Amino acid sequence: MKKIATLLLALAMVFALAACGAGGGNGGTDDASAAPTEEANGGGAAVTGDVIKIGGIFNVTGDQSSIDAPAQKAFALAVDEINANGGINGRKVEAVFYDGQTDTAVCASDAKKLIDNDGVIAIGGLSDSDYAYAAGAVAQEAGIPIVFSGATTPDIPDVVGNCAFMTAFGDDVCAHAAAEYLYNEMGARTVYVLTDTSMSYTSNLSAYFVERFKELGGEVTLEDHFSSGDYDFSAQIQRYLATGETDAMFMSTGPDDASTVIEQYRSAGATAPMISGDGWDADLWGVAGDLANKDVYVCTHYSTGDTSETVQHFIAAYTEKYGIAPENAFAALGYDCAQILFKAIEACGDDITAENIRTNIEAINGLVCTTGTISYTADNHVPDKTVVVTQSVDGALKFITNI
Amino acid sequence: MKTNVKLRDCNLFRLVCFIIIPLLFLVFCALQPKSYITGLVITAGIYIVLCASLNLINGFSGMFSMGHAAFMAIGAYLSAFLTLSANVKMNMTPGLPGWLIHAQLPFGVALIIGGLAAALVAVIIGFPVVRTKGHYLSVVTLALIVVVRAVIDNQDKLTSGSRGLKGIPTKSTILTVYIVVIITLFLLYRIVRSDYGRGLVAMRDDPTAAQTLGINLVKKKISCFAISAFFAGVGGGLWAHYLTAISGASFYFTKSFDIVEMSIIGGMFTLSGSILGALFYTVVPEFLAPLENGLRIGGLQLPSMFGLSNIIMALFLIFLIIFRRQGLMGRSELLLDSWFSKDTYLALFRKKDYARLAEGFLNLFRRKKKAES
Repeated sequence: MKKIATLLLALAMVFALAACGAGGGNGGTDDASAAPTEEANGGGAAVTGDVIKIGGIFNVTGDQSSIDAPAQKAFALAVDEINANGGINGRKVEAVFYDGQTDTAVCASDAKKLIDNDGVIAIGGLSDSDYAYAAGAVAQEAGIPIVFSGATTPDIPDVVGNCAFMTAFGDDVCAHAAAEYLYNEMGARTVYVLTDTSMSYTSNLSAYFVERFKELGGEVTLEDHFSSGDYDFSAQIQRYLATGETDAMFMSTGPDDASTVIEQYRSAGATAPMISGDGWDADLWGVAGDLANKDVYVCTHYSTGDTSETVQHFIAAYTEKYGIAPENAFAALGYDCAQILFKAIEACGDDITAENIRTNIEAINGLVCTTGTISYTADNHVPDKTVVVTQSVDGALKFITNI
Repeated sequence: MKTNVKLRDCNLFRLVCFIIIPLLFLVFCALQPKSYITGLVITAGIYIVLCASLNLINGFSGMFSMGHAAFMAIGAYLSAFLTLSANVKMNMTPGLPGWLIHAQLPFGVALIIGGLAAALVAVIIGFPVVRTKGHYLSVVTLALIVVVRAVIDNQDKLTSGSRGLKGIPTKSTILTVYIVVIITLFLLYRIVRSDYGRGLVAMRDDPTAAQTLGINLVKKKISCFAISAFFAGVGGGLWAHYLTAISGASFYFTKSFDIVEMSIIGGMFTLSGSILGALFYTVVPEFLAPLENGLRIGGLQLPSMFGLSNIIMALFLIFLIIFRRQGLMGRSELLLDSWFSKDTYLALFRKKDYARLAEGFLNLFRRKKKAES
């Protein structure tokens, strides 16, 4: 009897879920006026009520949480701000967030859920390309525009399709900036490259860096690899020291390994300047302590030291709402991602459809954001932004130059 | 009229509850191929294939393998290579041999080849693996995941490295996935009901006794490992063609643990358990998701607590292991027995089955009354 009860229970749950699914746009919230949408097929979704529903997918649990959680908080902050200012053309914005759990399948399912159950008109979020591809494919199929806050692989719009937009610059731009800074500003001619091969972000970054540095006329003396989670770099350090110190080191690792890498290389006596991409816009000092303040450079999206009104306003608002300053640049990107969506929705006027939002994002030109000025065209969904080179000084990243 | 007929033993009841209703539900899903609920049902179907194949090895043969993600990865990559167009492969994976770059096969064939490749790997590594027992075997199979991941991440030219494969055609629909589910379950059901399957159970319960009765343990272990790997590879192929983008990271420890978890929840000693476990594992977290987002109960707004569903699932697993170690389904093969038995379908035309059904209902009410008094 117990068995049959469990079975029936399971079946009942499946059907209850089906009922939710059939309920369509009215599922998730008790806002009676919430955007009744058509079944999303081929960009048919439209806003007719006085609430604009947008979706947010962020990996707030799992490995990605250190960069996605701040991004989500900033995204929510942007939504609060726009509603406090009367919404967009008199309509309130409602953001529905789902946790991607650092799992590609969950991200895809979240995108389906947002479009199908919650009837969102556009989606923002995700700071890594692996998850962006999965969620993007779903959004593309439904014709819903999706703006990735922190994903940086430049081929995302090509792979996903015309509904995908990036808030950040591509890895190629970031790595090229690092190469140019080393070669032109620092005068480095030989370089050592360490790559985490377990992430597409780090592999891409190294490849673009090596390509550009060689193009400029520099020499890559040694390329070495590791896999995220190794925690022990002694073999790599030995190989590096055996080949002799270079003018600079390009360390392509994710945020979690950054501090460990600095600590182990510096303790072992490697003194050359270290430079990395936006993955190092993280806690560099946790393990390394003061060692992280010795000649460590990070090419990233923005600098908290930027005195422009947009950046200072963002930092103040974030600090006021959450009690801490923005943890890293991905928070700023999450904020900008929301601004892009708002701008495009505003340009739709009263005719808010997914397709209109998409074309209006393409039409964005010179939108001033915390991480630079953003412009798109129909052919280019990756904004061409400046890269900020920062140096780690006294436990913070200090602005050096724009490239 | 005092009989002991239980409702679940009535063929008609089985027909309606376990076949007709789920089938109607699948048709309902198939009619709206893009919807969220359809996505969930497809995911559940793929998990059923993976979990059932894991149950063959973990539940029936008694070897506790954790390496399912590795076999999935092999199946996923190979089947993706076989369905991607030559142009895409030339760009992403130029290191592949020419014939593989130009090969483009139907989805079904690609799945089978992916499964066979996984089975082949299982046979090769089977020899060292079957020398180990218990925890050691689990650890060795875990190591296999690491090896496969390392190959995927570092063989840039062959697998596109950690960048992964993208743009895989969406071929996993309700129809294709559930055809595979039915075939997989049918084959596995026949296997565990054959003398081969009984040999597996004998080996699990007492290896020495089984050996003295003439069972070749090594042969049995390796073949079982390979069969399980084959279906895991097929499941991986379905997975790749559902998500359309895969990389080494999608087939790591967590994926294996997920499958082991559903196998434990559903019950690893039966194939029906894998169905229940897969459904439970896909559906329940979706019910908990609103809780994470800050549910509004009446006027009370709960704060958003991301990760809560994981905690609840973990607690559930702990309680399950303490109080119902055999899993939700226990040792009953109820679902598959009803699916793959002629009687269930013929019941529609048999008078006595209608009588039994009526009796079953009557008994249910009698028991209820008894319990009340």
